[in-house]
Amino acid sequence: MFGFLVKRILAVIPVMAVVGLFVFSLLSLAPGDPAALIAGDQASPADIERIRASLGLDRPFLIRFGEWGWRILHGDLGTSLFTNMPVTTMIGQRVQPTVSLMLVTLILAVLVAVPLGVVAAWKAGRLLDRLVMGAAVLGFSVPVFVIGYLLAYVFALELGWLPAQGYTPIEQGVGSWFASLVLPSLTLGLVYIALIARVTRATMLDVLSQDYVRTARAKGVAQGGVLFVHALKNAAVPIVTVIGIGIALLIGGAVVTETVFAIPGLGRLTVDAILRRDYPVIQGVVLLFSFTYVLVNLAIDLLYTLIDPRIRY
Amino acid sequence: MSAAHPLAGESLGGEAPPGLAVARPLPDLYPPRKAYGRIRRTWRRHPTIVIGGIILLIVALMAILAPYLGTVDPTAIAPSRRTRVPSAQYWFGTDMLGRDLYSRVVYGARVSLLVGFAVAFFASIAGLVVGLVSGMVRWADSIIMRIVDGLMSIPPILLAIALMALTRGSIENVILAITVAEIPRVARLVRGVVLSLREQPYVEAAVTTGTRMPTIIWRHILPNTLAPMTVQATYICASAMIAESILSFIGAGVPPSTPSWGNIMAEGRALWQVKFYIILFPAIFLSLTVLAVNLVGDGLRDALDPRMAKDA
Repeated sequence: MFGFLVKRILAVIPVMAVVGLFVFSLLSLAPGDPAALIAGDQASPADIERIRASLGLDRPFLIRFGEWGWRILHGDLGTSLFTNMPVTTMIGQRVQPTVSLMLVTLILAVLVAVPLGVVAAWKAGRLLDRLVMGAAVLGFSVPVFVIGYLLAYVFALELGWLPAQGYTPIEQGVGSWFASLVLPSLTLGLVYIALIARVTRATMLDVLSQDYVRTARAKGVAQGGVLFVHALKNAAVPIVTVIGIGIALLIGGAVVTETVFAIPGLGRLTVDAILRRDYPVIQGVVLLFSFTYVLVNLAIDLLYTLIDPRIRY
Repeated sequence: MSAAHPLAGESLGGEAPPGLAVARPLPDLYPPRKAYGRIRRTWRRHPTIVIGGIILLIVALMAILAPYLGTVDPTAIAPSRRTRVPSAQYWFGTDMLGRDLYSRVVYGARVSLLVGFAVAFFASIAGLVVGLVSGMVRWADSIIMRIVDGLMSIPPILLAIALMALTRGSIENVILAITVAEIPRVARLVRGVVLSLREQPYVEAAVTTGTRMPTIIWRHILPNTLAPMTVQATYICASAMIAESILSFIGAGVPPSTPSWGNIMAEGRALWQVKFYIILFPAIFLSLTVLAVNLVGDGLRDALDPRMAKDA
C-alpha cells in the first residue's frame, strides 16, 4: 500500500514535466519570431528587443527551459509582459471567484446528476429514463455560453431573480456571494451533469443486475435502500472517476462562463492574456490548471481504496 | 403476420366432428414479409442517425448553397441600418455594424462544418498512427504514453487556447490547434484497441504462421479499429465545433472578417442585454448542428457496438 502511494505520487512528476515542456516550448514552436509575434504589429524594434530579453529568447533553449523550470519549482511563474506584475500575484488576485465557481458547480452537479442517473437506471427504458437521457444529449450539445446567455436572459433580465453579471466576493456576505454564483454554476454545470448522469446510469444498470441486489430485495430492503445504499455504493468507483475526469470540462468551461457573466476570475485572466499575447500569464494559468487537474485525479486514485476496500494496491 | 400463421388456428370447433380437432389446411406459401425500404428499416432501428443525418444534411446544403439562399454579402457594413430587429427585410435582424445577420448565420455554417469535419479527419488519422505505433512497438509505448498522459492533463480547450495565443487567427490555425488538442484521446483509444487485439487468437495465429507485421496491421488490426474510430470521430467533430465557437467567442479563433457562429456571438456580447437576437440565432444553429452530430454519434455507437446499446 505504502509502496503504491509513493509510486502513484511520483508518477505525477513525469506528467507535469511533459506539461511544463509543452507549455514552455509552445513559444519556440510558433512560426516566425516569437518576440515579434507577442509584441504585435505596432511594436517598435526596441519593444521587440525588450520582450526578447525579458523572455530570455536570446539564449539556448535547454538552458532557458532549465532556468524556467527551476524558477517555477520555487513558485516564481515570471512577470507579466503587460502589467509588469508577477504572474503569481495576478493569479492570486483572481483565484477566489474561479475556485468558488468550480466548487459550487461541482457540489451542485453531483447533487443533481447522481440521483438523476440512479433514477434513470431504476426506470430504465421508461419515459423518465428517456427524458433524463435525452436531456443529457442536449446538455452535451448546447455550448456553455449559449446556456449562459439563455439562463441570464430568462432569470436575470426577464424575471430579475438573480444578478446577470459580476461576482460578489464571499467577504461581502455569503447570500449575495451565492446569488452571484447560481447562474454561472448552472451554466458551467450542465455538461458536467450530463456526463455524470450518463455514467451513473450505465454503472447502475450493471450493478442492479447483480446477485447481491436481488438478495437485498429478497430480504425486504426498501427500494430507496436498494438503490442508494446497496447499488450506489458498488457503482461508486466509475462515478467518482468520471467526476475527476470531468474537472477538465469545468476548467475549459470556466474560461467561457467567466466571460459570459463578467466574473473576474482565472478564466477571464486567460482570455485577457490571450488578447494581449501576455505569454507568461498564459503559461502560468495553463500550468496551474493542469496541475490542479492532475492533483484532483491523483486524489481520486487514492480515494478508490477508501470507497472500495476490495481494491488493494 | 401472426394472424396468418398456419398453425395459429385452434378455433375450428364448428367444422370439426365432436372430440376431434382438425388442422386447418396449410397454405401453399407463407404470406410475404412486409418489405421495409432501406430508409424505413434504418429509421426503425436507428432513429437518431436518421434525425441527426437529416439535420446535418440541411446544414451542409445551407453551407454549400449559402450564396443562393437569399443572402447578401455577409461582411457588407451599413452603419445606417445597424441593430435592426428581425423583420421581413432582415430575417434575423442586423448587427451593430448593420451587417445582415441571416446572411452571416448562413455563411457561418461553412466554418463550423469545415472545422468539425477537418478536425475529426485529421485527429483520427494522426491519433490512429500514434496509437498504432504505441500499441505495436513495445519500446515506443512507454515514451508515447508519457507524452499522451501529459497532454491529456491539459484540458483540451485550454490547450487549443494556448496554441491559438501564439498564432494569428485563421481557420487553418483553429483546425490545427483543436486537432492537436484532440489527438491524445484518439491515440489512447486506438492503443487500447490494438493492445486487446494483439492477444486475439487470430492475430497470434497470423504471427505464428509468419505473416509480416505490415500485413497483420493492415488485415487484422486496422479493420477492427474502424468501428470505435468512427464513433470517436463523430464525437470529435461535435467537440471541435464547440471548441471553434468557444475560441472565436473569446476572440482567439476565426478572424472577425470571416463570419462564424462563435464570431457573431462574440460581436453580440456587448449588446446581449438589449439585442438578444444577435446571440440567439447563431446559438440555435450551433446547438442544433452539434446536437445532430451527437445524435449520429450515439446512433453509430449503438449500431456498431450492440453491447453498448443498453447503456444509453
